[in-house]
Amino acid sequence: MPLETFKSSQALTLGVELELQLVNTYDMDLSSSANDLLELLRRKPFPGVVTPEMTQSMIEIATDVQTGHGPLLAQLREIRDTLVTAGDRLNIELAGGGTHPFQRWFEQRIFAKPRFEQISGLYGYLAKQFTVFGQHVHVGCSSPDEALYLLHALNRYVPHFIALSASSPFFQGVDTLFDSARLNSVFAFPLSGRAPFMLSWDEFAHGYFTKMESTGVVKSMKDFYWDIRPKPEYGTIELRVCDTPLTVERAAALACYLQSLCAYLLERNEPPPEEDDYLVYTYNRFQACRFGLDGTLVNPKTREQISIREDVLATLRRIAPHADALGAQGALTEIERTAARDGNHASWLREQYAQSGSVQGVVAAAVQALRGPVN
Amino acid sequence: MPTLTDMPFLLQSMAWPLVLLLAWFLGERLHEAWQMPRVSSYVAVGLVASLFNLPGLTDAVPGLPFLANVALSLILFELGYRIHLRWFRHNPWMLVLGLGESAVTFVVVYAVSGWFALPTDTRLIIAALSVSASPAGILRVANEMRSAGQVTERVMHLCAINCLVAVFALKLITGYWYLANSGDLTLAVFGSVHVLATSVAVGVLLGVAVPALLRAQRIEERDVTLVFALAVVLLTTMAYGLKLSPLLAALSFGIVARERRVHLTNAQRGFGTAGDLLTLFLFVYIAALLDWSELHTGVWLGLALIVARTASKVLCNVAAARLSGSTERKGLLTGLALTPMSAFAILLLEQSRQHGFEPAHQVLATLAFMMLLQELLGPLVTQRALKAAAETHLTKA
Repeated sequence: MPLETFKSSQALTLGVELELQLVNTYDMDLSSSANDLLELLRRKPFPGVVTPEMTQSMIEIATDVQTGHGPLLAQLREIRDTLVTAGDRLNIELAGGGTHPFQRWFEQRIFAKPRFEQISGLYGYLAKQFTVFGQHVHVGCSSPDEALYLLHALNRYVPHFIALSASSPFFQGVDTLFDSARLNSVFAFPLSGRAPFMLSWDEFAHGYFTKMESTGVVKSMKDFYWDIRPKPEYGTIELRVCDTPLTVERAAALACYLQSLCAYLLERNEPPPEEDDYLVYTYNRFQACRFGLDGTLVNPKTREQISIREDVLATLRRIAPHADALGAQGALTEIERTAARDGNHASWLREQYAQSGSVQGVVAAAVQALRGPVN
Repeated sequence: MPTLTDMPFLLQSMAWPLVLLLAWFLGERLHEAWQMPRVSSYVAVGLVASLFNLPGLTDAVPGLPFLANVALSLILFELGYRIHLRWFRHNPWMLVLGLGESAVTFVVVYAVSGWFALPTDTRLIIAALSVSASPAGILRVANEMRSAGQVTERVMHLCAINCLVAVFALKLITGYWYLANSGDLTLAVFGSVHVLATSVAVGVLLGVAVPALLRAQRIEERDVTLVFALAVVLLTTMAYGLKLSPLLAALSFGIVARERRVHLTNAQRGFGTAGDLLTLFLFVYIAALLDWSELHTGVWLGLALIVARTASKVLCNVAAARLSGSTERKGLLTGLALTPMSAFAILLLEQSRQHGFEPAHQVLATLAFMMLLQELLGPLVTQRALKAAAETHLTKA
């Protein structure tokens, strides 16, 4: 089946998807309760979309198409409140965070949906180790070529999103020393990583995709686990590197940081992306995963090394006018606070571990954080 | 080398470990072959052992009832630790369901037992015991299947409410019996109000003290399990000395300890291997307490009571399912999963008997058949219900 045509959408519109953890109230382990929660949620109109995910201990929520920070945040809060209330009725807690700090992947149950069963059959333990929780942000693009341009122009900013959203320092009961251990699980998949460098949709759809499809390795865009991938049926590009933050406030801020950044990039004041930009891509990404905002990235154009924190703060200054135009000042303020003062949620979770002395305490803190802002 | 005269004593001493070993072996094999709940196998072995009247397998051996109480107290502590009081605030229907179902079951069983020629105090006791559900059977099966989900969660909470109501009802009946038979108000109050209030108080006290002790210094997870286990042993000893209800005290201890924890390092589920060993003993012991010669007398009564009790639990759960945020199907499965009812009821009776409550012995004889069926098949029903609810881990590899 050839790749469907890219459905044009209004530029810079946003859609946010969050994968959330379902946690029991007893020992804070993941709870295979998605069916129960979804059943209860079906009884009332839901302020967005909620769907089952790969395992019974995860649900995914999605916002409507949004244009500004205020309404996006309002909807995310409404979704959060609806979920928390439903969870309270069923004795289930919800939490953000890219990984569950101590769940054991081999105990997770896979949803009985044919696609999930097929994935589980193909990937074996990888599918279960994939019990990780990410935030996906869709940005509307007016044309497919614009989508590919944005996708590649963003390559040097991908570490920002990894570092700012990182909230998965603990995995399988230990501190991994990574700020985002979640991405290590994603990288294990054969079709993860970066998209091939092509700026023309025609070349991408009829050249690359058709060839890949003829190999039998992929059937649809869904089979690619790229950091950023085009989503032709929505007319968007989808940024997939973010861990689910602990709060919806941070999630909305990340989405609108991306929106303002895209607005800036679309003015094409920066040198255009090229294949050589990707020479430093995996190194930069590793730095962001491992050290978060303290990581160092290499600017692919100038080959200069700069701390991710500095680079975020410099970028904030550059894109401020676009944020003003989009009404995203609130989002940028939150990002600035994160980069300059408070740190990401990975460091906050480590503080919680230091205070409570247990990984259960970390989950309990994450559960509270989702209910109300932490910092 | 033991001399020949030591042989009877040696045989007697060896009976227990050998029977337990056999029970363990059978439990593993049948679980592997047909996924039979392990506890059902333990009960079966205990019953056979009691048929052969093996030496040493009677309650005459001192220490065994105490050990059984420790085993069940550990389980009740774990059950209490799983109770989330805030859930009842967020979903009051759960509390209404638990208390309402207990009341309905009491009334229904009392009414049904009226068809058989039984004295009123026996009927009251039977009704009170029928309210309870077996925490041992339910927790073991749920842990064995790594069960998690709405049915599991509800079964735990309802089981705790059922047990609390059963203890309260039984103690009040005991008090009433003392009053009616001796006219001694002091004895009556001692037999009921004192036991209830002091047992809860002791449990609450430990529930506050132990977490405080654990908080005072950082303690490894394994050691937390150890401290809680020792606290339960202490509690059981105190309950014996003060003639309290160790079961009620342990349940209160668990509930309060959970609420008081600040850092959430947890006891290992089921108290690890030591817990397994004690549970194994508990089920064999409980089954060995049943007297084969009494089994045939209560067949029809047993069947009628099982039907009445199960119907009450199932119907109440189905009726309240949607109101409490679940589905009728899960309500049905929750009701069925509450089927096991023996270990708790038998130990409760045993204890009342030791404290001089005479009707207890007769009730145990009358209910022997019911207990037998519930013990043997109850865990199987729970297991099948949890499986049907797709809450067990073994659904899909």
